[in-house]
Amino acid sequence: MPNHGKSREAKEIKRYRELVEAFQAQVRDGDFTPELLQKTAEILNTNPEYYTIWNHRRRIYVNEFNSIQHQYSECGLTAEHRDGQILDIIQLDLQFLLPLLMQFPKCYWIWNHRIWLLDQATSLLPAAKARPIWEEELRLAGKMLSRDNRNFHGWGYRRMIINSLESEALNGKSMAADELDYTKKMISTNLSNFSAWHNRTKLILRILDEKCADDDERKQMLDEELALIHKALCDPYDQSLWFYHQNLLCAFDPDQASETLAPRLTSAERLEYVFEELEFIKEMLDDVTDCKWIYQALIECRLLIAKIQHGMSKQDQEEVKAWLTELRKLDKLRDGRWVELGQKLGI
Amino acid sequence: MALVSGPGRGGVPAGRDPAQEPYLVTEKHVNYIKSLDTRKDELEYWLTEHLRLNGVYWGLTALHLLGQPDALPREDIIKYVMSCQSENGGFGAAPRHDAHMLSTVSAVQILATVDALDELESEGHGGRIKIGKYIAGLQNRETGTFAGDEWGETDTRFLYGAFNALSLLNLMYLIDVHKAVAHVQACRNFDGGYGVDPEAESHAGQAFTCVGALAIAGHLDLVDRDRLGAWLSERQLENGGLNGRPEKLEDVCYSWWVLSSLAMIDRLHWIDGKKLSAFILRCQDYEGGGISDRPGDMVDVFHTVFGLAGLSLLGFPGLVAVDPVYCMPKHIIQRCIQKSR
Ligand SMILES: [Zn+2]
Repeated sequence: MPNHGKSREAKEIKRYRELVEAFQAQVRDGDFTPELLQKTAEILNTNPEYYTIWNHRRRIYVNEFNSIQHQYSECGLTAEHRDGQILDIIQLDLQFLLPLLMQFPKCYWIWNHRIWLLDQATSLLPAAKARPIWEEELRLAGKMLSRDNRNFHGWGYRRMIINSLESEALNGKSMAADELDYTKKMISTNLSNFSAWHNRTKLILRILDEKCADDDERKQMLDEELALIHKALCDPYDQSLWFYHQNLLCAFDPDQASETLAPRLTSAERLEYVFEELEFIKEMLDDVTDCKWIYQALIECRLLIAKIQHGMSKQDQEEVKAWLTELRKLDKLRDGRWVELGQKLGI
Repeated sequence: MALVSGPGRGGVPAGRDPAQEPYLVTEKHVNYIKSLDTRKDELEYWLTEHLRLNGVYWGLTALHLLGQPDALPREDIIKYVMSCQSENGGFGAAPRHDAHMLSTVSAVQILATVDALDELESEGHGGRIKIGKYIAGLQNRETGTFAGDEWGETDTRFLYGAFNALSLLNLMYLIDVHKAVAHVQACRNFDGGYGVDPEAESHAGQAFTCVGALAIAGHLDLVDRDRLGAWLSERQLENGGLNGRPEKLEDVCYSWWVLSSLAMIDRLHWIDGKKLSAFILRCQDYEGGGISDRPGDMVDVFHTVFGLAGLSLLGFPGLVAVDPVYCMPKHIIQRCIQKSR
């Protein structure tokens, strides 16, 4: 590195450390002023991971909110003015965070601080004034997810916003159906989006529970989801799809069914479903023979049938053995797993 | 111990025969870790202060696994850890940083590693019980979850951290273990994996924290070993490394979280350990020491410790045995925790 780079870095370090030290001195004196707020902004612009600074920023705001509240109860500030001042503080800070968020989208202290601000809006303002801020945030979360559609924090953040928008405090109601549409939209732009498929699993359970769906409605939902995943599985190499398929198969597993979207299928119904899946997957072998996921799913279906029927015929065992042999050829990394499965099945 | 990245990058040196058996550059890793605290002329040293105590835990554990437990002066470590304690009993990441669950857990792990938990009983530190009460105070008694600090964000990482530290302090009775375990159960998905909360998708980091918490609570019976084992084993990619979720890139730190979870449920043999060892070794900076997330990237102490811990769990010769639940040397866990798991 050229020398002037090093001396520039030394200057940067000096500036940063002086800033932090000045800030800490002011905190020690309990000096929670807007000027201190300015210092937190300067530090966070350089280092948004410095969580203690975020904490102080919140302490400064708590102080300010308390003083506005005090003016309202003691000094004749109108409710309208009080709400306006609180709203200004929150919105100004949300704006301050935007460029930071674009620059450091994975820094989760920034997301954290936004949620805190939004929660302040919920607890300090009437629902009619707080709700639009949350709605705006949902649009932002949507934008972030369309830029990076598997962003783990992004999906978690979206769920947090939805939970709030659904809450009584914001005069909300369930948005599960809209969210289900949203996952479909995300899947249609990228089938391989497991985050979206996962959210589907959870949302469907909620939707069915919320409308107290009967067994027929549940079965219909199951059929629709199976049709959807069958269509998607025209790309059999995509493991996201197989994990969603496996989620759906849980409804046919006597040990798992109670937690699934169709908990009360009869054994006969379960068998019928699994046989249909088995046939569907077997047909895939007509076009593709080098995809390990197909063999894994076939074995899983066979094992499920054996579980429901309490046993496996000699002929079926031979079939599983043949699939396992193919699987071991294709999936060398997990050979220990397949060897153990073979031993467990006595084949 | 600063989390300054680089200066070197992971990767097999040019000109070396790739077919040649990869090896561990033990001495270079030791020197790399020892040099981390001398890099105060780098801005990154100052910008990563919020991870200093975690960094000490990472560096110290790496040195222990490398068989060099005395490479850092014990008294200096203890003094530094104690200087990070807040009035509420918890520890911040550095002096004058606010207390947080994650740095408090690191503090306890460091003190346990250098056999200095008794220091907490010295004048002005409030004893083990004060730290225990700080951690227990972060539990939501209704939901069983744990927050990271007074600001209330919850995550199964914090629940695991609480279990880790409190079990090392022998203070598990301070919390509602039953409710916490029920919450972990609620975070389980159909694929057998675990999410950060009951609605979140499975993630390798959460497999480690949730299964680790269940292991500490003596409740591994609640894990669907075959299903979780299947999901975890599918994290291995052709290059030998492991990813954290389907369709994501391999990474040395995820390799540890997946591998340790597999070890906890006795499914270590469900992946190709040899290929994983080779992948981790390829992430070494063969010149300057340190391990990166994947070949070609800059090394850092975080990926160094998780790389070494992974190699240790895979039985790579010359490394001290690691405990998969605590990510600390096994013999130290045996010393701290009488009850056998
Ligand atoms: Zn990593």
